[in-house]
Parts: sequence; C-alpha cells; structure tokens
Amino acid sequence: MLREAPGPERARVIGLLDAFQAAERAGADAVGRWIGVCRDARLRGGLRVIQARDRRHAFLAEARLRALGGTPEASVSRELTALCRVVGDPGVSDRSKLAVLLARFPGPGAEALDLLVRDVGDDAETRALLDGILDDERATVRWLRGIRDVLDREGP
Amino acid sequence: MSHPDVEREWVVRFLDDLRAAEAAGAEVLDAWIAVCPLDGLRGGLRTIAEREAGHAELLAERLAEIGFACRAALPEPIRVQALARFGSPAVADEEKLALLLLRYPDAASASRPITAVLEHLAHDQETREMLRLVADGEDATLAWLRAYHEGLIRSS
Repeated sequence: MLREAPGPERARVIGLLDAFQAAERAGADAVGRWIGVCRDARLRGGLRVIQARDRRHAFLAEARLRALGGTPEASVSRELTALCRVVGDPGVSDRSKLAVLLARFPGPGAEALDLLVRDVGDDAETRALLDGILDDERATVRWLRGIRDVLDREGP
Repeated sequence: MSHPDVEREWVVRFLDDLRAAEAAGAEVLDAWIAVCPLDGLRGGLRTIAEREAGHAELLAERLAEIGFACRAALPEPIRVQALARFGSPAVADEEKLALLLLRYPDAASASRPITAVLEHLAHDQETREMLRLVADGEDATLAWLRAYHEGLIRSS
C-alpha cells in the first residue's frame, strides 16, 4: 500500500529525528569501544549507563520518525565520525577522551539538542520525547565533567 | 567500610530489588502509553519508559557479571492492579499523574534510596557510578512528570 508523502513540516521533523538517531547510534558504538578498553572501574560504570541511554535514544527517535512516515537513512557528519574514532581509540587516554568530548559542551550541556527540541514546532509528542532525552544528555555531561575533575585531581 | 563480601551480599539484593521495580515501572508505563490520548504526555512517557527499561537491563547485566541470578519480582497482585489502573482508558491522565506523584512528595524522593546506597558502596566502584547515573535518571523522571502535571492543572 502506498503511503501519503509527509508534508514539509513533518518532513523537517523526520529529518531532525533521522540525524539525531544516527548520531546517537554512532555515539553508543564509540562509547561501547571505549568501555571495552577502559581500565578505570568508575569511568566504565558511568559509560555503560551512557551507552545504554544513547542506544535507547536512537531507538526512540527511529520509532518516532517511522511513526511519522519516515525511514532512517541519515549518516553522521565527518566531525562526529572523527570524534567517535578518538573516543573508541585504545591508544588515546581516558583523560584525553573526556577532554575532547567535553570540549563540545562549553555551556551547561546538550545545547545542540536544546535547539533541536525548540525546532520541532507543533509536534507535542516529538517535543516531549526529545525533552526527556535532553534531561538524559544533561545528566551525561554533568557526570562526565564530575569524573573528569576526579581523574584530573588524581593526576596521570 | 564493610568487607567486600559483606558489601556484595547487600548490594546484589539492592540491585535485584531495584531491577525488579524498574522493569515493572517500564511495563506499567507501556500500558499507560497505549491508552494515553495526550500527545505531549505520551512523548514524555515513552522516554521515561525507555529509561526505566534501560535501568532494569543494565542492573540485570551487572548482577550477571557479579554472578547473581535475578530473582526479585513485584508481588503479582500489585503488578496486576497497577497495570489495570494505569492501562485503563477510563482513568484520567491527571488522576494517574497525581497517584504517581503522591508516592514522591519531594524532588529527590525517587532517587533517595539509591543515593543513600552510594555512600556505603566502597568496593564496587563500577556499580556505584552506574547507580549514580540511574539516580539522576529518577530525578529527571520525577521532575518531568511533576512539571507536566502542574501544566495540566493550570490548563484545566
């Protein structure tokens, strides 16, 4: 059965969700590689929760974009691919990975997603879905900053 | 500081109880989502249900690594009653929210049992950091539900 093509507003939201699900999936995979080589139990514990959340965020965004009539087809940006490579690299120290990751969040955290939530427009379900994800992302940034400070205090 | 074996004994019981509660919470939320007519609430509940299911899965994984078989479960009559109430289209969303929030009188009441445990977890640092982020998630869930409930009351 042929489906009606989504209107421009809906197509825009589908595009936002598609880019987001691709980024979250790539992030979860990179964090998974990091966990595999991370020797610090504290860091590993937090990274496991972060990875699980990123996976579920990707799932939620994909389910929503499908409900809106879209199909996932986005690929991640070159910048994110490079970041994921660093995060998953066993030759890069944990402290360097944290520094590179946190350099992306100069403010309170997850500003890009905050903009995305505001960009969703009148779609209340998608907005609320992303709003909850935004809470997770802020908690992730807070926790990463905390563990970075702990590791910095302990020294190399 | 307790002996590692003593710590492990009470930690696994706590993790198992928390896992069972989170899994049951996700199940009840899924039942609510299926009958929820409010787009915004449904979107938020989807994220919260995924968060709860994610916590349950992570805790089960951690227990398996520690070598403990999951056995805790919510008492069946309580589970059935919660599913019937929250999965009922006849019960108003405002009533469901009020009922849920009644259990958590202040902002930290959902995470307090978890944060209380963090202070006593001296040996298993991986689990401690996992629980720290799970506690953050509980706070975010409660804050979102409270804000939505207040908005619902204001608009009615």
